[in-house]
Amino acid sequence: MKKMIKRLLAIGVATVMMASLAACGSSSGGSADSGKTEEAAEPAEQAEQAEQTEQAAGDVKTIKFFHRFPDDPANSFIEEKIAEYEAAHPDIDIVVTSAQNQPFKEKIKTVVGTPEEPDIYYSWAGEFSERFIRENLILDLTPYLEADPAWKDSLIQSQMVNYTTDDGMVYGIPFRLDGKVFAYNRDIFEELNLEVPKTWDEFIKVLDAIKADGRYTPLAEGNQDQWPGAHYIGTLNQMLVPDDVRAKDFNPSTGEFTDPGYVQALDLYQQLVPYMNIGVNGMTHDMARQLFTTGQAAMCYIELVEITNLYQETEGTEFNWGMFVFPTVEGAGNPNILTGEPEGFVVSANTKYPDECVEFLKWFLGPEVGAQQAEVVGWFNASKGVADNLTDEGLKEAYDLIMNAEQMGPWFDASLYSTVCEEYLRQISDITNGDVTSADAMAKIQKTAKEAQDLVK
Amino acid sequence: MENNHGKNKRIFMTILVHLFLIILVLIIVLPMCWLFLNSLKTNQEMFRDSIALPAVPRFENWINAWNKGLYNYFLSSLITSAMSIAGILLLSSLLAYGLTRLNLPGSGIFFIIVLGGMALSEQVALVPLFKMIQALGLYNTRLAVVLPYIAFRIPFTMFLLRSYFLGIPKELEEAAILDGATTLQIFYRIVLPISRPVLASAAIVNLNFVWNEFLFANIFLEDRKLMTIPLGLMTFQGDLKSDYVTMLAGILIASMPMVIMYLCMQKQFVRGLTSGAVKG
Amino acid sequence: MKKKVKWSNYLYIIPGLFMVLAFVYVPIITNVVYSFFRLSSYSSSMKFVALDNYRRLFTSDTFPVMIRNNIYYCVISLIVQVGFGTVIALVLESKLVGRMNAFYRSVYFIPSLISLTAVGLMFNFIYNPTAGMLNGFLKAIGQPGLQQIWLGDRKLAIFCIIAMSQWQYTGYIAMLMIVAFQNVSMDYIEAAIIDGAGPIRRAISIYIPLAKEQLLVCSIITVIGAFKLFTEVYTTTSGGPGDASQVLGLFLYQNAFLHDDMGMAAATGVLIFVITVTLSIIQLRITRSGQD
Repeated sequence: MKKMIKRLLAIGVATVMMASLAACGSSSGGSADSGKTEEAAEPAEQAEQAEQTEQAAGDVKTIKFFHRFPDDPANSFIEEKIAEYEAAHPDIDIVVTSAQNQPFKEKIKTVVGTPEEPDIYYSWAGEFSERFIRENLILDLTPYLEADPAWKDSLIQSQMVNYTTDDGMVYGIPFRLDGKVFAYNRDIFEELNLEVPKTWDEFIKVLDAIKADGRYTPLAEGNQDQWPGAHYIGTLNQMLVPDDVRAKDFNPSTGEFTDPGYVQALDLYQQLVPYMNIGVNGMTHDMARQLFTTGQAAMCYIELVEITNLYQETEGTEFNWGMFVFPTVEGAGNPNILTGEPEGFVVSANTKYPDECVEFLKWFLGPEVGAQQAEVVGWFNASKGVADNLTDEGLKEAYDLIMNAEQMGPWFDASLYSTVCEEYLRQISDITNGDVTSADAMAKIQKTAKEAQDLVK
Repeated sequence: MENNHGKNKRIFMTILVHLFLIILVLIIVLPMCWLFLNSLKTNQEMFRDSIALPAVPRFENWINAWNKGLYNYFLSSLITSAMSIAGILLLSSLLAYGLTRLNLPGSGIFFIIVLGGMALSEQVALVPLFKMIQALGLYNTRLAVVLPYIAFRIPFTMFLLRSYFLGIPKELEEAAILDGATTLQIFYRIVLPISRPVLASAAIVNLNFVWNEFLFANIFLEDRKLMTIPLGLMTFQGDLKSDYVTMLAGILIASMPMVIMYLCMQKQFVRGLTSGAVKG
Repeated sequence: MKKKVKWSNYLYIIPGLFMVLAFVYVPIITNVVYSFFRLSSYSSSMKFVALDNYRRLFTSDTFPVMIRNNIYYCVISLIVQVGFGTVIALVLESKLVGRMNAFYRSVYFIPSLISLTAVGLMFNFIYNPTAGMLNGFLKAIGQPGLQQIWLGDRKLAIFCIIAMSQWQYTGYIAMLMIVAFQNVSMDYIEAAIIDGAGPIRRAISIYIPLAKEQLLVCSIITVIGAFKLFTEVYTTTSGGPGDASQVLGLFLYQNAFLHDDMGMAAATGVLIFVITVTLSIIQLRITRSGQD
């Protein structure tokens, strides 16, 4: 009897040991990405090492960093820069994790506000971040900017607007500036004697001409992931709906979406669909872009950060392309907004090391790293002068477009309340397929917006 | 004459049946061939004509896929599976033994409780389980998936083992008891060795489950170092960047281990999967 | 042997029992509680809303779409996987096939070993309108008129996903049925042959009745699987275009982790729970009556 209990105890202890061993192995997974990824040691060993260095160095400050740029060259660039920073600051250990766009949207909401929350994380400006701000989860950066005027002055003010709340709280610093433009194939335009369109009517004429020729798809688009369609609508809404009405509707507690401009925007989008490739809803945006980069389509509505991808995809081929901003539509809105909000990082309000986090961001999103980033990745941050030494014409043009823009328009999907966003994207998707009318679609969105008002109360 | 007619009819039927079966084979195999074909192309070749042959087969796509983290996902899948299966088999066999051989009062109720777990689906527990994992500080650790895997697979595995244990003759145990063996000794000297075939079957069914599980892994893990293969494959899908051929190569490589295992151990596979008849 | 109960023997069952209670039962009960609250993942506040989550679930425009899609999946899977799978099993077990039997069986079975994500990602490409296999194939055989948008088409999307599942699992069910048929005693079959019963008669009057139980088990697995559907949709359309291919499982997931609406997710969970448990009880009843 006693013997048996002993045996069972032994088994129990063994199980617990197994479990804790496993726990070690897995918890080390968290720190394995700490920029020292070269040492591909056994997980358990790594945990030990991490523990030892921690003991030796006294108080290493661990900062968790979560971004959504896991594709190269951005990913390697980020890792390289972080390793550099860690080398210069032995007391700082930055643990990096990353996820693709869609999984990121899901993951970030599940960790913010919990003990696993990252100290610094990517977050879209507007409603996406403001839902966290409502719960006091994001650090107010305004005092830090006030305390360091040199830093404040080094940032381009027009790009900081989007990361500022209506009450004037600055909550994020841009990592990459962006803007939505039409990329067009110069060869096709020359061949068909077409001019870059400035107005909606000219645009339709260009599309008609390409369609009539019959050899090329006028417009490449893939809306399987549903955000690309939202970018069209976002831009059209800016031109057709007055600024103050949009601002009111983006706020979930007052959102109604009753302005006739919204219906008109959907109508105009619907007008474009026949010029797009077949199966817009059946493929992703990047797949559709392949139609453009392989010369099968004449135009594609892209983000300026995609220029890097255009270069990658057309490497080794003669690809002659240009860009123009969305043609002007006459309406009650503001035609001078360039869609394409800067995207950047925020600091958690619960971080143990707010000063260290801000200090790191000052450098990571500053002019020095920014210039290298423009060179290596083709993305600009919001520090002044990062594009001064660029030689690439396409990137220079992109930078100038952003700099000359009067105002940056938000990413439409990121500025809507979650349920309204879901409904809106669904309706745009159905409009793309021609399954609903604009008026019916808007009626459904209005109903969801009404319900959302109750949800945020 | 009549015999000959019957023979002709039989040959005709045989041909017809084989034709039918071969069409089915084509339906199964063609998508796989397409995958293989395109995993050897460039992105541009694929977009120009996806059913044409590649100009030059590019096996470097496979190497790229492997280097893009597949190796790491494999390792992670192996560790996660090993931990889960060890836990599932250990706890389930103890449980099944306790419920079948020891005449414990309440065994019937406990059996029903555990078995009831079989009917409960993972999704229903998802939200609270997520909150629980976070509260326990297990989020983004290997245990975050291993513990739920063990818990959700115990009912089925216990059921499988129990019916086997019930078939072990009592005489073997009685002889051992006369020799002064304890219940634990009987368990690991008699019951476990005899049950090796059913344990192997149970291990295989559970391996197929754990290896391919997506829902829990997708939510409870965040770190690339911990991601299992199904999750890792999803990271191949970028939003703005497009490297489809590498992704196709990744899908191909990632699917190989289970298929190869099946081809090597068909008997155990079929026995394991059919004894439980629970689809992943 | 001894009448006295050894309490220490409970140590055998406690660990397993604890795991099941802690990680299966407790969350499911908690889920029912959550379904009466409004809560999000990042906010600690919980607000009691009584049945409001259920009201929103049952009155949402997506609700009938989801239920319809789950039922489509269920019915088609029953016909193809169970029905057609059984036919395949019968054909493979007939004397006409001979030595090729093992080859066919293995080929049909292999898709079920590939992970759902891999299959989903693969079919995403196969269905791609411009670069996919299906449209490429239709063009190659001179039928470009039959080309479709597949996953992007409101009417076709869910059926494309269902077709993918049939591709993956019909061979699995066929394998289950083959094993059941192999357990049918040769005596019955020989007796039937002596009686002059043809292969089809033999199938209907001997194989199917004797493998009835396995057939029922397969049906129930398929039906329950249809209401747990998640990964297949998540990896292909994410419920689109619009909400045309939305299903209960994905709806739950999206509400919990994308739309900050965990209460709604919990309510959906309760619905899935009720459906699957009811079906499981039916399964238990049927298999029991089969044994009697």
